[in-house]
Amino acid sequence: MTDMKHTDMEEINIATDVLVLGGGLTGIKAASEIADSGYKVVLVEKNAELGSQKGPVSLFGLEKESKGLQDLENKITADSNVEILTQASLVSAEGVTGDFNARLSKGEEIVEHKVGAIVVATDFATAVLNENYGLTLADNVLAQTQMAELLASGAAKQKLANKTVAFLVGLGQDGNPLVMERVLNSVLALQEIEGCEAYIYAGDLKVASNGLERMYKESREKGAVYFKLTEKPNIVENGKTISFFDTVARRDIEISPDVIVVEEELRADDLNAEIAEILRINVGPSGFLQNDNVHFFPVRSNRDGIFVAGSTREISGLPSAWTDVENIAVEVRDLLGDGKKTVAKNIGVVNEDKCVICLTCYRCCPHGAIYWGDKKAVISPMACQGCGICASECPMDAIQIGGFNDEEITEKVKSSVVSSNGTPRILAFCCQNSAFEAGEMADMFKMQLPEGLRMIKVPCAGKIDVDYILNAFVSGADGVVVMACHPGNCKSENGNTFAQWRVNDVYRMMEEAGLEKDRLCFAGIASNMGSDFSHIVVDMEQKINELGLSPLK
Amino acid sequence: MSTKNKKVMVVGGGIAGLTAAWELSRFNIDVELIEKTPFLGGYAIRYCCKATDECRQCGACTVEAMLKNVVEEPKIKVHLATEVEKINNNGRISVNLKKSSYQPNSAKEGIVRGYSKNNTPLHVMVDKKKCEENPDAVPEGAVELDTMGYSGKLDVDAVVLASGFQPFDAEKKGTYGYKKFPNVITGLDLECLMREQGAVVRPSDGKIAQKIAFIQCVGSRDERLGNLWCSQVCCPYALRMAEKSKHKNEDAEITVFYMDIQNASKDYAGFYEKCKTDFRFVRNIPVDIFPMENDSLSMRYMNEEDGQCINEEFDLVVLSVGIMPGPDNSNLSDLFDVGLNEDGFFAGMDKLNSTSTLKDGIFLAGTVAGPKSIAASKAHAGQAASEVIKHLGVS
Repeated sequence: MTDMKHTDMEEINIATDVLVLGGGLTGIKAASEIADSGYKVVLVEKNAELGSQKGPVSLFGLEKESKGLQDLENKITADSNVEILTQASLVSAEGVTGDFNARLSKGEEIVEHKVGAIVVATDFATAVLNENYGLTLADNVLAQTQMAELLASGAAKQKLANKTVAFLVGLGQDGNPLVMERVLNSVLALQEIEGCEAYIYAGDLKVASNGLERMYKESREKGAVYFKLTEKPNIVENGKTISFFDTVARRDIEISPDVIVVEEELRADDLNAEIAEILRINVGPSGFLQNDNVHFFPVRSNRDGIFVAGSTREISGLPSAWTDVENIAVEVRDLLGDGKKTVAKNIGVVNEDKCVICLTCYRCCPHGAIYWGDKKAVISPMACQGCGICASECPMDAIQIGGFNDEEITEKVKSSVVSSNGTPRILAFCCQNSAFEAGEMADMFKMQLPEGLRMIKVPCAGKIDVDYILNAFVSGADGVVVMACHPGNCKSENGNTFAQWRVNDVYRMMEEAGLEKDRLCFAGIASNMGSDFSHIVVDMEQKINELGLSPLK
Repeated sequence: MSTKNKKVMVVGGGIAGLTAAWELSRFNIDVELIEKTPFLGGYAIRYCCKATDECRQCGACTVEAMLKNVVEEPKIKVHLATEVEKINNNGRISVNLKKSSYQPNSAKEGIVRGYSKNNTPLHVMVDKKKCEENPDAVPEGAVELDTMGYSGKLDVDAVVLASGFQPFDAEKKGTYGYKKFPNVITGLDLECLMREQGAVVRPSDGKIAQKIAFIQCVGSRDERLGNLWCSQVCCPYALRMAEKSKHKNEDAEITVFYMDIQNASKDYAGFYEKCKTDFRFVRNIPVDIFPMENDSLSMRYMNEEDGQCINEEFDLVVLSVGIMPGPDNSNLSDLFDVGLNEDGFFAGMDKLNSTSTLKDGIFLAGTVAGPKSIAASKAHAGQAASEVIKHLGVS
């Protein structure tokens, strides 16, 4: 939804097959949904069989849904629109959205596939945290998964009758609702076994997911005892006794459980790093494949046409993985359509005479939208988001952005430096996603704004050139404000960082030129921060009032 | 794309309804968006940005962006101050709409302002008499509430219920003195305060609050109230706003009273570590708040170490109120013949598909189906849109 002037349009044909990486339940669901939308799917799984997470389904309280899950697998296996490659992996994926050339290895063989979109659907991995509790896994010390498997098998009834089971959760890690849910499911199942008693030693109970508080209550009503601690209990002789000091009762509480169940950490799949490198997508917190950036949620990566589902992007149970897959189905339909796309030719244009193929643009493009041809860098009109980071970084000034070309902006800067009755002239370079919106909000909500303030809209703060700022001062601006999205909120990832660097460059130049640095300020802002916008520009006006009007005028 | 004549009604103009409407419009589906109040954006549009030096992933800015998408999208027709009167579901769904009975809680000089600049109208005159008495106070473009709202019938192919939630009414926890003591506010009040003023000030005297307490789980996880759910958003919003308060005022002393801290954002571990160095956490939910001189507040709680009762003074107390089922849920449940779950939220088809319902053609999006953050509401609305598209056979 930008108001760029894109008049020069062209229709292009794109590939409409879709590559799905990961043949767990999330990948199977993704393949099914996308195939149902009428696109051919290549489903790639590293293991010999699909549905590697089938085991845990019964452990996630999805008994009712498990039949449907099996049906889903049967359905895609029979679907001629789904090609399944097991024991296979992605080798490379050159190209951009609508036109990826995926090379897949299966044994010795390399298969090539043209695909328009790629879905990454890896599962989470588990790691037992017994060492965090000083425990060694043994007959009486089980990992959460082992307990869940035991409960799912027929043997539990006999094996655990009249036994005392202690769970350790949230004390060896911060944990999350899925870890909690797995414990609660096991506790509830144990309570169906005769004479079995459950004690849960817990840090924070992570109940921030549908139904967990009720499960917690139900298990307590059935006799489970929860000890909420702030540190690990004392565990003696590999779990023979567990004790802690109860601060309210003011005494030690000690039990001798027959079985101890140790919590597990749910982590990102080991494959993620490799996939991220091949696809040139970002690795976010804890090895999951999505930045912690609200503009990417739920399923976008930093590159158009590459989507991330479920536990690929964060710890997800199946319900939220399903939500992701449905969102991806919508995105994929919208992206691929009927295989014809109308795109603007001038979003980002490289001047062949100026380009020396130094690859600066290729390296700084956060969207992976740039590649190179024979004589110049090429910007894909499908993948380019028009942020303009490349245009401002290009040492040859060889790139122009449609609707925001340098000449237009320079003109705008000159004509915006206006003054009435000697009030300070302030130019604010505003990212259209954040600062410009905030500025309009401040204006419409009648918040205080300096009379001589003018906003210059840019597609992203990363488009703000050093030249723009210098030009503003040379044209007579008394103060310049550069406003970008907060770190971690830039739609182009690091446009704000580029802007900050350039402002720092200008500070150095101002120092050399003897111009007061207070005349330039950089600020992070969001679209809903009208009041902060007002404070920032009013502060600038006050500073100028103290300094006097610009000596450069 | 063969989507001739497909039309979907979305009930509710909060973040879930906006997202569902916009996602559907991408597929050339005509959308009729019904909103009970005179403004779009629901509660989420009132939330403040919680960034400190960096974004804290609250997602409030994405609500602004989505609202803008919707008002600029010609395929979406917005009906403000409108509610559903009656429906007839025989294949195609026939919906009777009427002007809503919306009445604002308070209106300065008879005028209510929307929360987003992208709302049209931005100002609504709810008290004609007051406006006539003081015509200078009436902003340009203000519209009379009486002239708003749509009465009539619409035939649609599917309905997305996205009527949202209501924040817990903190007055129900009488011993906290909400609305009796000016410096006891809710998390929602603090959101609005920070959004409008950009600072954490005491309502009683406008001074920057120095000693601030956050009380978690107000209305949530409360057996006595029968509210057996975690609202999922209160720890994240409280910790983020506490961090923001600290960012704005380094000297602020902040205490968080809690039962169990829930995760906020993907990089939770790092964020929580920072919180632990910046504030004091007390694992106890206080029961009583007493007024003191200068409108400060005395709070009684139990010391975890020795079980003794402590009285401590605070400038400002923030009640982290939770997400309750929407006020119209039972009415909408009757009208659309879709059941509610034991907590009073709408029941989805099953755990994996919580956006479809047992009623053909009726879908759910957002907090109407249970507590959700902004990001989760948007994702749920996307899922609902996908199910609607499949239902309509749009390709």
